[in-house]
Amino acid sequence: MNNSSARRIATILVLSPVLVITGLAYDAHARRAAAQNDVAAIDAVASRLPTSDLALSGGARWLRAISLEEPGAAFADGPALPDPDPAGAAMAPPVELWSATTTATPHAAQTGSAGKK
Amino acid sequence: MKLSILGFALRALSRRKARAFALGGGLAFAVALIAAVIFMTEALRGEAERAHAAHADIVVQKLVGGRPTTISASEAAKIADIPSVRSVTPRVWGYFFLPSLQGNVTIIGTAKNAQPLTIASGVLAEGRDITPGEHEMIAGAELAQFLGLRPGDELGLPSWNFDAHALKLVGTFRSSLDLYTADVLICDEDDARALLDLPRGDATDLAVTLSNTAEARVVARTITERLPGARVIERDLLARVYHLAYGRRAGFVLGASIPAILALLVLAWDRASGLGPDERKEIAVLKAVGWSTSEVLWAKLFESLLVGASATALGLLLGYAWIFWLGAPGLRPALVGWSVLYPRAALTPVVDLAQLLGISLSVMGPFALLSVVPAWRAATTDPLETMRT
Repeated sequence: MNNSSARRIATILVLSPVLVITGLAYDAHARRAAAQNDVAAIDAVASRLPTSDLALSGGARWLRAISLEEPGAAFADGPALPDPDPAGAAMAPPVELWSATTTATPHAAQTGSAGKK
Repeated sequence: MKLSILGFALRALSRRKARAFALGGGLAFAVALIAAVIFMTEALRGEAERAHAAHADIVVQKLVGGRPTTISASEAAKIADIPSVRSVTPRVWGYFFLPSLQGNVTIIGTAKNAQPLTIASGVLAEGRDITPGEHEMIAGAELAQFLGLRPGDELGLPSWNFDAHALKLVGTFRSSLDLYTADVLICDEDDARALLDLPRGDATDLAVTLSNTAEARVVARTITERLPGARVIERDLLARVYHLAYGRRAGFVLGASIPAILALLVLAWDRASGLGPDERKEIAVLKAVGWSTSEVLWAKLFESLLVGASATALGLLLGYAWIFWLGAPGLRPALVGWSVLYPRAALTPVVDLAQLLGISLSVMGPFALLSVVPAWRAATTDPLETMRT
């Protein structure tokens, strides 16, 4: 390897992240543009669906519509049943969301000691 | 001058090919794994958010014993007169376990005033929309394929309710909508009610549409006052579900990241722990023939940059190709879950320039900088002493 070819190869290698990032950004942009064609179809079908949750865990009822499930549902449906979705931890229940959900103010409990001195 | 040093750095690396390839390979693997996980989680979040706008502004469920149960459709009247509520629709939908599938199908009853689905609108791959009262259904492409159904075929689902009719398949969803419809079976409301054994007058939940979405929180509070014990889910909060559900670095994501992070730490330790005897001798020779300390430092920095930059580029390329060109074999089922009816639609990249630059700089920066300290130490010692030892 002579000096000039070493310099040329080294320059390309140093700049390779820029080339790759530019190429990937272009490919991602082209794929996003192509996906725009599906927007109307997605809107049309989503209006019939109960939720926009993805159909990734059809076998697991408590993960099929994660945004609509109840807070206590992230368990198997019976004792000792196998977890139907091993990626449960990656798609953990949205605890923060549930805590922010509007709930009715519970009635104040009566202590029975009010007024006693 | 700097270009000459760059060329020298490449030749120095080629003299230590095995070490350079080991370092570069480890780094490329770590970058590919981390980038693939980020690309995939971002793409999933993006897919979920694409359909978010069509979601009802507020969903009202009834809880009994801490679990959702059916709600009386007449409860809709208690909500309909709240200011800003445009419509309240009792919805009939639910899950149906198919023994032959060993999985659940999502059965959705279509309201009578629903917009028609057509091939022209890009929703259906074949066939047409259902006709109410004709006991017809539309199924996801994956579900129809699994059951071996073609338009015109009839399917009798094993319901407990003897009023449930066999349904005739009249259309299938396009496979590009698989992410939303893989396990979906749409029929008219009466058929869904019969299949799910839902009593007339009951609904799975109530979908509320608002004329002013900014008032969602106020309306939600009013609903909880009028329907004590109801669970009220606002659409704006649902947007956060996808950030929380797909954005977490838990479970497999974390498990996948640990070896990658460990590999990075090993590489960093290798860089920080100093130079080998050959490299020290090389620096001593360079100093002896007249190279300045800064020129030696530039040479070592360029060596690290060459390995780090090419490994980062290779890692990004591999990570992207893995997820978007090859369909994420291995990673996809493990990361997003698995099911008998598994959507195979390609993911759309959400990754942008800033994200790609962020990954690159967070890897290359520390890797290059860590090489400067041991090189500076070697460059400031007496070359004769180094060559003697």
